[in-house]
Amino acid sequence: MDMETLLSYEWSMMAPEFTILIIATVLSLVDLFADKKIDRKLFGWFGAAGIGIALFFLFSQIGHEPAMILANTYRLDAFSLSFKILLLIGALLVLLMGVSYEAKGELLYRGEFYYLLMSALLGAMMMASSADLITLFVGLELLSISSYILAGTRKKSTQSNEAAMKYVINGGISSAFTLFGLSYIYGLTGSTNLADISREISNIAPENGLVLLSVAFILTFVGLAFKISTVPFQMWAPDVYQGAPIPVTVFLSVVSKTAGFVIILRVLLSVFPFAQGLEANTSLLQSMMIFISVLAGITMIAGNTVALKQRNIKRLFAYSSIAHAGYLLVPFVAFSEMMFESMWFYLAAYLLMNIGAFAVIQVMSEHSHSEDISIFAGLFYRRPWMAVMMTIFLLSLAGIPGTAGFIGKLNIFIGALFSDPSRYILAAVMMGTTVISYFYYFGVMAQMFMRPSGSAVPIRMPVGVTIAMVFCAAGTITLGLFPGVVLDFFQTQFNFAEMFY
Amino acid sequence: MSAIPVNAYLLLALVLFCIGLFGALTKKNTVIVLISIELMLNAVNINLVAFSKYGINPGITGQIFSLFTITVAAAEAAVGLAILIALYRNRSTVQIDEMNTMKH
Amino acid sequence: MADLFTYQNSYLVVVIFLALGILLPIVALSLGRLLRPNKPTEQKRTTYESGIDPFQDARVQFNARYYIFALMFVIFDVETIFLYPWAVAYEELGVFALIEMLIFVVMLLIGLIYAWKKKVLRWI
Repeated sequence: MDMETLLSYEWSMMAPEFTILIIATVLSLVDLFADKKIDRKLFGWFGAAGIGIALFFLFSQIGHEPAMILANTYRLDAFSLSFKILLLIGALLVLLMGVSYEAKGELLYRGEFYYLLMSALLGAMMMASSADLITLFVGLELLSISSYILAGTRKKSTQSNEAAMKYVINGGISSAFTLFGLSYIYGLTGSTNLADISREISNIAPENGLVLLSVAFILTFVGLAFKISTVPFQMWAPDVYQGAPIPVTVFLSVVSKTAGFVIILRVLLSVFPFAQGLEANTSLLQSMMIFISVLAGITMIAGNTVALKQRNIKRLFAYSSIAHAGYLLVPFVAFSEMMFESMWFYLAAYLLMNIGAFAVIQVMSEHSHSEDISIFAGLFYRRPWMAVMMTIFLLSLAGIPGTAGFIGKLNIFIGALFSDPSRYILAAVMMGTTVISYFYYFGVMAQMFMRPSGSAVPIRMPVGVTIAMVFCAAGTITLGLFPGVVLDFFQTQFNFAEMFY
Repeated sequence: MSAIPVNAYLLLALVLFCIGLFGALTKKNTVIVLISIELMLNAVNINLVAFSKYGINPGITGQIFSLFTITVAAAEAAVGLAILIALYRNRSTVQIDEMNTMKH
Repeated sequence: MADLFTYQNSYLVVVIFLALGILLPIVALSLGRLLRPNKPTEQKRTTYESGIDPFQDARVQFNARYYIFALMFVIFDVETIFLYPWAVAYEELGVFALIEMLIFVVMLLIGLIYAWKKKVLRWI
């Protein structure tokens, strides 16, 4: 490879990634050499500005023809663009929350927090737009390893240490599973490039490769289930969410989860629809759907029922996020034409409502130094606006009409019923578990409106977290009342057929 | 010279992977668990290298992939051990079954 | 065919060395066992530690600081495996790979600077 090929690449395609990379590198160097007295919160604003620039580059790329650079390992298409927008907005809001995170003596390494967040974001973005198993894996591990350290940033806290340790062990096992599956895919096709794999894999005769391919599918999916915290790799979520600092919890439950869905869609959809299935004239993906649908059903039931008896608010939201991951698998199983649309929309809605809810949780738990559900007691009589916003988030998480969560669930539901074949059982499970989820979401609301407040100390609301809260509340309502605005934009700007080679 | 069939390598990798998984799920000492995870990742390396020699379309890619796996595994083990040291300083234990301060 | 035989012969040398390597200690130790007198007493059975009575466990705990050095070594050692394939194929890869490698080494350097500023490199 000589200088001409190097210059012929369209490097501007990678502008968002370069921005994040440069910001992370500069932050890490400045943090080392800057005076100890300089407030590290400035770094947070600097990072937020960097993400803003990256978002600007990303929006200017909308409508770009699908293209690949770096020997076909980096791919820019509608799929990667649309999901990178979600990742960047999520990370921006997390950063704003991190700037106002003040719990006493907890975030000893504030500088590290910001640039590890950036490197994790970079890993997630690489996952979204890579077209090669090796870069996918490196992106996945960049995200994972950064988030292991992030989960343990409260170095003096036993809970945080424990959370990080459990996260590393579970993460290590799951990445070994994924890799084992990927190694079979490589062995059967002789290539790590997704485009080549999708071409080669249809040539495999069913009598030779079917068993190995099915094993590869199951191993890959089970390993990736860790990132999205669904059964069978969901057990880490409650402990890690509880032990990690709240901004990190939000990052894991929103950005990391979105990245997990991105990699699942990218790998499974570029490899397995082209492989010969168990029955004649079906693809392996279709044959395996029953496996995913069982896992999705168990995830929804387990997440929602165990959440019922939680008193710790972070643990409660951990189980709620497991349940939401289950809902998000439903459109994947249904595999209708609306799949990308409904998954993207639900992820966007989930991003807004979950970050918003965690922003309120952060303010309240810093105020009362507790994470019990009773910290919300009488919130409506002390900070009415914050209580109203929390109500919006909870209603949206529960899927009540007028909010983004409702539209998202409706899309998924319609997709499941009108797909071919219809997934009635899964849709019914989704309905039933949604009703179960009302109990614990409304339990929090009952605390806010019906309990007397314990103390009269005014609640401090730092700037960053307030911005995040208001933005999320406005977004949840807008997406709920005028979903057409976003959906139309989505349909006109993003053509998901580009994803296939 | 190569009388060893590709199945032998795959079987070896599978057995190694299962030993690693068994160790990771049953052992109580965190260091042993981390070592077991390394076993699982090395099983992947055996697979990749075997496929890059005897696979359907043999090529160098598998070996490159295994280089990346080795590096990432080292980074993961380093982070895991560093977190273990932080935990040991606070709790004076490396036993997994004693890491239970967060039960409900 | 001749090539194959030379190939096999080179393995034969390895096998002979292997057999010699295994046999030598076995023969030497068992011959010694047969020849030496054997009169154990209580004093002789104690662990030998430079003439002083042994006073602690044979397993010695090291300072955790050494361990950080070991971690640093492992990371830098493993990252080097990317440099070898690049060095072997340097002629074909050309300037592009050189620039990529420079970026890679600079990233490693930042890690080293981090360790240095965090006082990991200081010998106790």
